[in-house]
Amino acid sequence: MTREEHHARKAQEQHKKDMARKHYLAGKGSMDIPFLLLALLLTGIGLMMLFSASFPSAYYETGSAGYYFKRQAVFAAAGIVAMLVVGRFNYQRWRGAAKILMVLAIFLLLLVIIPGVGITKNNATRWLGVDGVLTFQPSEIAKLAVIVYFADSISKKKERMRDLREGVLPYGVWLAVIAVLMLLEPHLSGTILIVGTGAIMMAVGGMPAWLIGAGIGGVAAAAWGFVALVDAGIISYGASRINMWHDPWLDSSDDGYQMVQSLIAIGSGGLLGTGLGKGRQKFLYLPEESNDFIFSTVCEELGLIGASLILLVFALMLLRGFWIALHARDRFGTLLVVGVMSHLGLQVFLNVAVVTGLVPATGISLPFFSYGGTALLLQLVEIGLVLSVSRQIPAKREG
Amino acid sequence: MAFMTPQHNRKDESVRRANRVIQRRTLILMLIMGVAMFVVLFFKLFSLQIVRHEELQSLAVSQQTRSTVVTASRGTIYDASGNILAISSTAETVFLSPLELDAQLKDTEKPAKWTKTQLAETLAEILDISEESIYKKMERTYSEYEVLAFRVEEDIADKVREFINEYSVHGIYLATDAKRYYPYSDLAPHVIGFVGTDYTGLYGIEAEYETRLQGESGLVVTAKDAAENDMLFEYSQYFAPEHGENLELTLDATVQYYLQKGIEEMCDAFSPANGAAGVVLNVNSGAILGMASYPNYDLNDFSVVTDQTLLEQIEREEITESQAQLTQWRNKCLNDTYEPGSTFKILTLASALEEDVVDATTTVFCAGHTEVSGETIHCSQKEGHGQQTLMQSVGNSCNPAFITYGLRLGTDTFYDYLDSFGLHGTSGVDLGGEAQGVFAQKDAFTQLDLACYAFGQNFTVTPLNLIAAQAACVNGGYLYEPYLVEESRDSDGNVLYRHDATPIRQVISEETSAEVRECLEYVVSGGTGKNGQVAGYRIGGKTGTADKGQTGDVVVSFVCFAPADDPEIMMLITMDTPSRATNVYVSGGNMVAPYSSAIMAEILPYLGFEPSYSAEELLGIDTTVPSVVGMGLEEAKSKLTERGFGCRVVGDGDTVTDQTPVGGVLIPGKSTVIIYMGAEKPTDLCTVPNLVGMTPSEANAVMANSGLFLRFTGTTGRESSTVRVFSQETEHGTQLEAGSVVTVRLGDTAVRD
Repeated sequence: MTREEHHARKAQEQHKKDMARKHYLAGKGSMDIPFLLLALLLTGIGLMMLFSASFPSAYYETGSAGYYFKRQAVFAAAGIVAMLVVGRFNYQRWRGAAKILMVLAIFLLLLVIIPGVGITKNNATRWLGVDGVLTFQPSEIAKLAVIVYFADSISKKKERMRDLREGVLPYGVWLAVIAVLMLLEPHLSGTILIVGTGAIMMAVGGMPAWLIGAGIGGVAAAAWGFVALVDAGIISYGASRINMWHDPWLDSSDDGYQMVQSLIAIGSGGLLGTGLGKGRQKFLYLPEESNDFIFSTVCEELGLIGASLILLVFALMLLRGFWIALHARDRFGTLLVVGVMSHLGLQVFLNVAVVTGLVPATGISLPFFSYGGTALLLQLVEIGLVLSVSRQIPAKREG
Repeated sequence: MAFMTPQHNRKDESVRRANRVIQRRTLILMLIMGVAMFVVLFFKLFSLQIVRHEELQSLAVSQQTRSTVVTASRGTIYDASGNILAISSTAETVFLSPLELDAQLKDTEKPAKWTKTQLAETLAEILDISEESIYKKMERTYSEYEVLAFRVEEDIADKVREFINEYSVHGIYLATDAKRYYPYSDLAPHVIGFVGTDYTGLYGIEAEYETRLQGESGLVVTAKDAAENDMLFEYSQYFAPEHGENLELTLDATVQYYLQKGIEEMCDAFSPANGAAGVVLNVNSGAILGMASYPNYDLNDFSVVTDQTLLEQIEREEITESQAQLTQWRNKCLNDTYEPGSTFKILTLASALEEDVVDATTTVFCAGHTEVSGETIHCSQKEGHGQQTLMQSVGNSCNPAFITYGLRLGTDTFYDYLDSFGLHGTSGVDLGGEAQGVFAQKDAFTQLDLACYAFGQNFTVTPLNLIAAQAACVNGGYLYEPYLVEESRDSDGNVLYRHDATPIRQVISEETSAEVRECLEYVVSGGTGKNGQVAGYRIGGKTGTADKGQTGDVVVSFVCFAPADDPEIMMLITMDTPSRATNVYVSGGNMVAPYSSAIMAEILPYLGFEPSYSAEELLGIDTTVPSVVGMGLEEAKSKLTERGFGCRVVGDGDTVTDQTPVGGVLIPGKSTVIIYMGAEKPTDLCTVPNLVGMTPSEANAVMANSGLFLRFTGTTGRESSTVRVFSQETEHGTQLEAGSVVTVRLGDTAVRD
């Protein structure tokens, strides 16, 4: 070994050490405090509103007004712990788990549609586990799997994303498989969310611009065409949803009942609302008042001002999330955060749009608010991912 | 370095390009999801919560609340003296909810403290209904509302409440509502009217003043959930009911009582086929002091037919019960019109005097009939009245004379007076259902029509409309709108409405009116209205006997007013189709005037008109018998003659041992008092003789023989040879103690309208 060689090796080792230290130090960075606070704030407000919205039903059904609230609070606590743990975890390690997660998700989705294995509620077989004790939706796992896997895979492909065969086809196939499995449950709203999130990640990841345009145009045209065909009476599937979306008062006691009750709740809230806890629509008028339609109760009790403030917190959280995505250390981090935030944003938008009658009704829950323990837990895990990414944001260069 | 190779450079460039794409697209996504999306949602929320707030709010309220009506208490109706004619008091309706009762019985956690048997037994006893009916209602477990008893009294309601509390019964409820009472039952039912089961006025003042009387119901709004239960938290709002206004009528219960009593007696005597009607009016304001219609009914049982004539008609199946109800509810004073006959001559007289076509010096000849446009019209006195002055023609109620006056006025002028007296319209009284008289069209009003109209035939008016016009003839010429409600006050006593008694117009002059009064006073003092005299009062009046078309039936009537020189009170009484089988000559003067006199004799002193007796009348006035027991004969005699009594002595002792009547008794003046000087006073009862048809002096003699005393009422001009006892208050054959007083009514049998 020459002296030069020795020096070179030493320098190389030193460089490796420096890099490792750099990585280590990067991993030691603090979580993004604004994002963390916004997440905790939403979890808190969500729990509070869940209690308000659910106590009449809880009282009528179980005799204990706090029944749903207590269960949700347990999951919230577990979720916050999970969020912090995931947040401490170096997100790079998820790369290795991406494919496994994906396979697991597909396995569970297959498992749930095997007759006798899944749990069926309201004509949909979406749950696994022990009914009444602990249940979860494989689709929630699938959501996480798609985000992690897509982020990992896309981040590695870089410019090759522009290639149809490499950048579009594989992802399209994955999404198609998941969509088919979920539609078999059936679970339309979950499918929309997963496919939407996956598509957004593909688009952000570098899919050709013309294809994005074509995709958006295609979806819009399909939606418009569907509505037009229903209106013309050619398609009868989903007709009642479309008709009730046009005018829920056409059948306010049956098909339009839920929508009408939601609009009454929101409208009667007015500017200032009836006051926290003092909503009346939740007294057996509004169905799903603690799940998909919890935001109607929020609007009724807190008025336009309160509802707008809550939407503002959501907006700030999305903005901060995308800010983290923009400043992430690498493409994987960026795409991971984009996936999580797109999923969150889509879900919030679709939920509020449904309860206000902006889009036809589908069962989409409101993150942090709707009743559902595992869903809340996984949302917080996703937030943990974002926090994890935020910890590795490189410090600004000096000078 | 290896980093710096061109290949590496190219690769680096491609990575940077991929990174740039991701960065740029993330930024776009950030703006879409973080801003644009929320702007859309905000506008949607704004449109729902602000723009459509009220619409959706009202939908929310209507589905979330349950309103319970709190009945407003209906206003009280008072008469002019503050007596209560109609009043509401709260009553409660008891109902049960079989659904809830059933649920309570099935509740095993909190077992009911009562049993079905116990409940049925207790309630049946409290409410006085059958146990079976309660069982039957409890069976209907699908129902939540089964009424057990409507409008029970408060003490019964309290008992039910006690039972509910004691046994914690969920499912028996009481709902407050109100009940209408008419303390005077059958007094002025046609004026007051009544309310239906839904508590709204159906007839009379109750209907006419519905909006004032009813008030405004209050509400209790409570929040309910979609399962119709009360919401978990308290939410209720109370809107106090606005109580109905209290009405003060011009009607006076006392006047009304005497009016009804008189009319009832008259109807009992003459059994009119179509009832009778009477109005007492204040001529200087139009205020109605009394208004009666016959057949009468009881306001507290307004559906029950009590009138004998109607009951017989139902019996004979000539009318149904509901027709009979409608008949008894009719206020004949204003719901029906009639041909007025001779009482209308007052208007012809007033018009003729006002137009100067006649005056006090006018004389007119009556041959018993006259010819107009080729038709012969007869006078009530077939042999004719001969030559008469104006006043005599009124006193004789001479048809040919009045035809003459009418023809002198001419069709146009006469017709215009009908208009001025308000006969072409309705009187405008504040009661519903006023009928309108039937008259010939002005352009078809012929001389013959005029001739008949002049003495009150061939057209119809309501009694009320007629008396309003007649009042104008004697009160100085002012036509007033008759009215019943003096004022309306809210529950705090604030006056919200007061009748404005401004005359509608002056129809004739004060001078003309005075002349009319003079003529009408003569009618009573010396004409056909003699039976309308009232001792101590100057009465003016006019009789009427009108043919009802060609049927042969008549409507008899009498209108009178007092004081004749300065009238305040006027009364018109009509009787439709009196029986001809009463031995009384069918005429207003013979049938109606005596009863009018009796009514006026009661209401005039009541209303504060002091009687002023003539010397002759004074002798007939009742005097208190002094006690002369223990006195000597001379002393006793002088004591009695001092007071105008005669004296008959029985026995020959030194001192008076007894007397008939005893001291302190009020007997007619000039009567003879029997004093016993030691002789035993007979204890036998005296039999009342039949006095009807006797002259006053005959009656006096018969009574003196019977040991009884006589008091006269009615026509006081007793000197006339045609005055006879018309009726007696105590039936003949009655046994009375010696010295008792029997009142008889005198009447002049010779009057012809």
